[in-house]
Amino acid sequence: MRKLLALPALLALALGAGACAPSTDQPTDSADTKTGTLRVWLFDEANRAAKEAVVNEAIAEFTAAHSGVKVDVSYLATDTRAEKYKGALNDPASAPDVTEVGNTDLAGFVASNGMADVTEQNRSWSEGADLPADLVQTVTVGDKAYGVPWWIGVRALYYRTDVFTSLGLTPPTSYAELVSTARKIRAERKDMLGIAVGGLYTFGALPFVWDAGGDIATGSGGKYTAAIDSPAAKTGIKAYTDLFSADICPPQQCVDLTGGGTVEAFAAGRAGMGILGNFNRSAVEAGAVKGKYGVVPLPGTRPGSIAPAFAGGSSLGVFRSTTHRSLAVEFMHLLAGRKYTLKLYDAMGFVPAMKSGRTEVIAKEPFLKPFVDTMDAGTKFVPVDKAWTTIDAEKILPNMLQKVITGKATVDAAAAEANTQISTALGK
Amino acid sequence: MSSSVTLRRQRLTPLWLLLPALAVLVPMFAYPLYQLGLLSTFEYGQPQVSGGEPARFVGTGNFRTLFGDPAFWSVLNQTVVFAAGCVLVTLALGAALAVLMTRIGRVARTVLSFAALTAWAAPAMTGSVVWAFLFDSNLGLVNEVLGLDGYNWLYDRSVAFALVGAVVVWHSFPFVMITLYAGIQAVPGSVLEAAALDGASTFTTFRRVTAPMLRPLITIVVIQSIIWDFKVFTQIYVMTRGGGIAGQNMVLNVYAYQKAFASAQYGLGSAIGIVMTVILLVVTLFYLRALRRTGEEL
Amino acid sequence: MRVVRRRIADGVAIAVAVATVFPIYWMVLSALKPTGEILSADPRPWTLHPTLDHFRSALGVSGFGRYLLNSLVVALAVVALSALIAFLAAVALTRYRFRTRTTILVLFLIAQMVPVEALSIPLFFQIRDLGRTVPGVGLNTLGSLILVQVAFSLPFAIWMLRGFVAAVPKEVEEAAIMDGASRFTILWRILFPLIAPGLAATSVFSFIIAWNDFLFAKTFIISATENQTLPAALLVFFKPDENDWGGIMAASTLMTIPVLVFFVFVRRRLVSGLGGAVKE
Repeated sequence: MRKLLALPALLALALGAGACAPSTDQPTDSADTKTGTLRVWLFDEANRAAKEAVVNEAIAEFTAAHSGVKVDVSYLATDTRAEKYKGALNDPASAPDVTEVGNTDLAGFVASNGMADVTEQNRSWSEGADLPADLVQTVTVGDKAYGVPWWIGVRALYYRTDVFTSLGLTPPTSYAELVSTARKIRAERKDMLGIAVGGLYTFGALPFVWDAGGDIATGSGGKYTAAIDSPAAKTGIKAYTDLFSADICPPQQCVDLTGGGTVEAFAAGRAGMGILGNFNRSAVEAGAVKGKYGVVPLPGTRPGSIAPAFAGGSSLGVFRSTTHRSLAVEFMHLLAGRKYTLKLYDAMGFVPAMKSGRTEVIAKEPFLKPFVDTMDAGTKFVPVDKAWTTIDAEKILPNMLQKVITGKATVDAAAAEANTQISTALGK
Repeated sequence: MSSSVTLRRQRLTPLWLLLPALAVLVPMFAYPLYQLGLLSTFEYGQPQVSGGEPARFVGTGNFRTLFGDPAFWSVLNQTVVFAAGCVLVTLALGAALAVLMTRIGRVARTVLSFAALTAWAAPAMTGSVVWAFLFDSNLGLVNEVLGLDGYNWLYDRSVAFALVGAVVVWHSFPFVMITLYAGIQAVPGSVLEAAALDGASTFTTFRRVTAPMLRPLITIVVIQSIIWDFKVFTQIYVMTRGGGIAGQNMVLNVYAYQKAFASAQYGLGSAIGIVMTVILLVVTLFYLRALRRTGEEL
Repeated sequence: MRVVRRRIADGVAIAVAVATVFPIYWMVLSALKPTGEILSADPRPWTLHPTLDHFRSALGVSGFGRYLLNSLVVALAVVALSALIAFLAAVALTRYRFRTRTTILVLFLIAQMVPVEALSIPLFFQIRDLGRTVPGVGLNTLGSLILVQVAFSLPFAIWMLRGFVAAVPKEVEEAAIMDGASRFTILWRILFPLIAPGLAATSVFSFIIAWNDFLFAKTFIISATENQTLPAALLVFFKPDENDWGGIMAASTLMTIPVLVFFVFVRRRLVSGLGGAVKE
């Protein structure tokens, strides 16, 4: 009898203990030491040495101005980046002081209580006024700024000048022309993809959705509602997935290409066109098509229009748990300032987020013209919501695209399923 | 008097011997397992973990979400089929080669066992990467040799599973082969000679004498194969890029990992982990019961 | 007839061996090929221009020596600790009969069924909290990796060693007791050497678990780059988009060699060891 009674009691005890068992860790607000080691996390890049040189120069300037301060930079490999960030969010003691963060990830970090509010510091920063308002939005959650935009990138249509000349083609100015041009290339050059597109290439697909007037989710007042199954969005999805056909980009070869995969295909000379970013230029130059390509804005459905591009790029932020708050903010501002963003452009081709810096590099570099035209035509962004991390990580959009491409689902069915999943993610 | 002292010491000795193991396993295994169980009853995402929001107790909510999701059932289904296939092929191949090892010359035996060791030694990660490279649609040797330029081995669900299964078998048959071969070698020659003198055929000797003596080893090999293949992670994760085209090659372990880490739903991920453990437990207990029925003891 | 059969059997065995070893051969070969040949549309199973470039770039990963050392320290510590602890536990579970024996055995079996990936969630928090009270085993330390991997290699090691202990005839110990040997002597001077082949076999598994680990290396070692282990460091080459195959293959080769050396080293004992579980 006693045993029977003890069991529920034990269970209640376990659950009671459970209510507080999974530990949560509230980072205390940051201290502000003026000496010591400043830890910085930046992204690893294919040609990291060039980036490292710029960063090291900034460090030299910074440490010369602050005696007793050391700056220790880690370059995070693509594959382990997500774990590192989770680790930093879960264990404030392991978090760096300053970090680079993909502009789509920032909202999630803020929701996890990881980032320091730097609204005030940005306002008093001498170069703060130079930041364009639309990009400041990508680091703003609610009405507070949690970082500074560092560099930006947009995608446009790369095409093979040699192939176009020999086939008598001109760069397409509408979606219909894009399709017919791609068909022509594939028909004439059997071993070439008409245009390299990928089932895992979300940022290649989104311009088609946006051009059709659709969106992943529509937002008002900081609240988002899933909208990927709207008729407009579905038109866009169909436009993109229609490119995956035997006479343009065969599903067998293209369904599991990532954005990087399409870059590789274009750079290796296996594709007549590709939707690549301004930041992919060095990869293309290193490949077989060096000097044999041109760039135009990705055309929209209406002849002469430009499909809205995704405003890609990365930002810098300060972790809330930093023990060197002032130093961290100062170093972040130094890296994000005009001087070093211009140097970074020279080294890596990353276009500065700063208005004045952007104008300057555009003036001296004709290659950027189509990208600037694209930016001027208006760019779009993913929902600034912590749910984006989930939507991205669960591959909701790529899964939708791949289902349509492989014929496992119709556009309607795939979009409806994705819409439900996005709603769930937004509702969390 | 003195005998009772020895008895007491005897009773305490195993405890002392087990103590180091328990000292490691209780805090590093049992307690986290208990925590895993707890986590599975919470809504526990990134905001909760890093303290922005309080963890919310949802009881069986995660399990209900899971069981109500048709995707879970299809993943579960293909995990079981895939694991069963891998186990059967691994065991059949490993056992056949173990027997073959006893019938071949020394040189051939050394060559085969060395080759098996290299496959065994190759980390799951590198093995998967090398195979993926061999079967790459553009640069792969296999497509080149077969003249299948541009053929995508991951496009069709079953073909992709077969390819990954081949890698799993490649990694795991050496354990089966070498263990069983070593077992056969350890059967005393006198026993076999006696059987031969009694006029037993090779086959009868194997079935009646060798196999029963190998049973403890076979038990280990079977249970381990089930456990390992049901929990396959790296090969799927690396070769099919985290679950294949539109998630068609998803298996439970990868599914749990993605729910927990990629989308930071630790509660739901834990629930899947619990479900996996329970399934493995049931399968193994069935196997052990079947063994006990044939007179084998744990 | 017999000879013919033997020949056929030999042939089959050699064919299987070649097929088995081929991916490894291809890995080493690709690591030695110049990039141009790797990317060529017409791959050849040999190369006339071997180059060490890819190895140089892999070895040039800053801190490579340090990472290699870290990996070796972790792997060897795990092997030694888990062999020792498993030996004691295996003796307890075979030589003594007590009430909870079967329960404990089943628990060790269950322990192997828990997916490690799932357990890494609670373990992360536990290691974090542990590190706040016990320095040296918290996040960012090699100690944390050793601790966790000993825990994960133990259940299988104990389960396997049991067979080896059981195979040592009880008479050996009884004779020693008659000679007045202490329990300690029996354990270390008599049983331990007799079980050595079995320990070699089990240590292979512990070594692989520890050496190959990415999961804990990347979850626990967050900010202390000096405590990175080799697999996590070589991950730099596994960029899904870049596909630097030469670098990947060189990195893979470097990761495989130590395990292979370890295997060859314990090979003899491995075979005699694995067979040791057969009852007389």
